[in-house]
Formats: sequence, structure tokens, C-alpha cells
Amino acid sequence: MSTVLFALGSAMILIGGLCDLFGAIGLLRFPNFFLRLHAATVGTIGGAVVPLFGVSLVALGSDFLGSMRYPIAGASAITAIIVLLVAPAGSHILAYAAHKAKLIKWKKVCDHLEAKKP
Amino acid sequence: MKRTLPLLLILALVVVFAYLFATKGVISAPTELRPLGKFYLEKCMIGGDFAAGSPEAVTSILWDYRGLDTLFETSVFFLAIIGSLMLFSFKVKEVVREQELTLVVRSVTKIAAVMILAVSASIALHGHLTPGGGFQGGSALAVAPLLVLVAFSRKILETSGLSLKRAIVIRSLGLMGILLTALLPLTLGGYIMQNLPIFPKYIADQLTSGSLIFYNVFEYLAVGAGFTAVFLLISIPEKNFVEEEK
Repeated sequence: MSTVLFALGSAMILIGGLCDLFGAIGLLRFPNFFLRLHAATVGTIGGAVVPLFGVSLVALGSDFLGSMRYPIAGASAITAIIVLLVAPAGSHILAYAAHKAKLIKWKKVCDHLEAKKP
Repeated sequence: MKRTLPLLLILALVVVFAYLFATKGVISAPTELRPLGKFYLEKCMIGGDFAAGSPEAVTSILWDYRGLDTLFETSVFFLAIIGSLMLFSFKVKEVVREQELTLVVRSVTKIAAVMILAVSASIALHGHLTPGGGFQGGSALAVAPLLVLVAFSRKILETSGLSLKRAIVIRSLGLMGILLTALLPLTLGGYIMQNLPIFPKYIADQLTSGSLIFYNVFEYLAVGAGFTAVFLLISIPEKNFVEEEK
């Protein structure tokens, strides 16, 4: 059981590292604000929430921690849930404000927010 | 391409040093108490009535050993808040309608504000056990009304019971509590801001560290309400200020 948990958790931490790397590359290379925001979101959700869940799984599977593994697992799971809740709201309102201020020049394909306004 | 070589060099150095540090045991946890740690532990926790009665050295020093200094620091902070209240002593026109942010932000704010309240209370109430304390907890507490202020409106904060007047009253009550806790030992035959023999170290078998928990709680209320008052004031749009008649 602990081996399964450890393997699953390690895989999630590895996925998190990859997401962070891709997010960093995207943050450097993407052309405009909205796309860079997308890359940053990949970094926060994929690169922070997923590995935190992984950490909690690894902690649950580590028998040598004794009863200390439950606080570690619980704290990292709670942190992951809070980041999962709060980070999208932050990037949402950043994108909303940038769109509303009309600061970004970009080639539009589809803009429902613009169409909704009178 | 010119930067690739130095970057690779830095990466290689970091990896090599990390490997050396991890394997050669350069960084390792000490197995016995150092003299400085022993000194702090004796002076803060296990020194009988002459200690502060708290395992947290920073809080012990802040509210016990140099308590008067912190008392005057707190009064400087509150003078600053009184000054900003003075600056904003305009009459304010009634605001008819204010814009709210989108549904996503409002829903998340509802959940996050409650969590911020819980975390700030935990920071303040555990100030004598773990890093943190009244000022830090109060600063975290003030973020919750600020979030509500931004995501919803000033009006909602006022109709749900947190008006400017009430914030100032809570702030004054907190300040009064700090002063009373500081002056109480004088009436019981002690010194000003005396901690341990006057205040109990344990309340109901819980370590409360004498007066430290009272200072932390009152400072928490005072700082949180003070910051909230200032946030409420600076959220008023300038065009709603009415000049007073002479």
C-alpha cells in the first residue's frame, strides 16, 4: 500500500515539476498577456496544486514518519485545495481587468466578453 | 547563445554544491542544545516566575522583557491611525450604487474571507506558542474586510455590521485592553507590565503564558479594526467627499 502511495505521489510531484518548467518557458516565449497568463496558470495549478497533493500522498505512504504523517498530509492537502480555489480567481480577475482596460493589442479570434457589452 | 555557457556553469556549480552538501553532511541538525538556546529557554520558559512563561522567545521579548518599548510602539501606530482618521474627517455623500466584481471573484471571496478570519485568529491566539502574534494576526484579519470591500462594495460591509464607527470602537476597546493589562499589576502590588506571578501561567491546563495571550488578543482586535477603519476610509471615492460649510 505504501509503495503504491509513494509511486503515485512521486509521479504527481514529477508532473508538477514538468508543469512548472513548461509554465516558465511559456511565460518567457508567449506573445501577449493572456497567453502568458495561461502559462502562469499552468505553473500554479499544475506546478503547485498537483505536487502538493503528491506530497500528501507520499507522506501518507511513509511509515517511518509515524503519526506525524497525518499532519503533513493534511496540511499539504489543505494548502493544495486553497491554492486550487484562490489562484483561478486571481488569474480570472487579472484577465478581466486587462480586457476591460483595453490595454492589450492582440489578434482576436473570438471575444464573447466584448460581444456581451452594449 | 552568449549566455548559455555561464548559465550552464552556474547550473553545474549548483548541482555539485547541492550534492556535496547533501552527502558530506555539511548541514546537519545539532544533537545537543547550544549555550545560546539554553539561555533563551531558561529565560523564556523554564525559569520560574522570572521567565516570561512562553516557549516563543520573540513574543516573550516583545511583550515581557521590552514590553514598555512595544507599548509605545503600539501607541505610535495608533497615533498614525488617529492621524489618518483626522485627515479623512470630511462629510461623505451617500453612495447610491457601487460596481461589484464578477461572480467568480465574489464566490471565492466569500469562502476565502472566512478562511482568512480563521487563520488570523490562529496566528494571534497561538502567538505565545508559535511564530506570530497580535500584530501579525491583526494584519491578516484586516485583509478579509479589504477583500470584501474590493469584491463586493463598501455598502455590503456596512450593512453587514462593520461600519467605520464600529471599527473605531473595536480599535479603541483593544487599545483600552492593552492599557488595562499593562496597568493591572500596579493595583495588585506589582510593577507596570509585570507578567508571571500576577497573571496565571496556565488557564485550565492550557499554557497561556500569563499576560502574553491578553496582549496578543487585544493587539489583534486593535490592529485588525484599525487597519479596517483606514481601508474603509480610503475606499471612499474622492467625488463623494462633501466640503463642510464654514
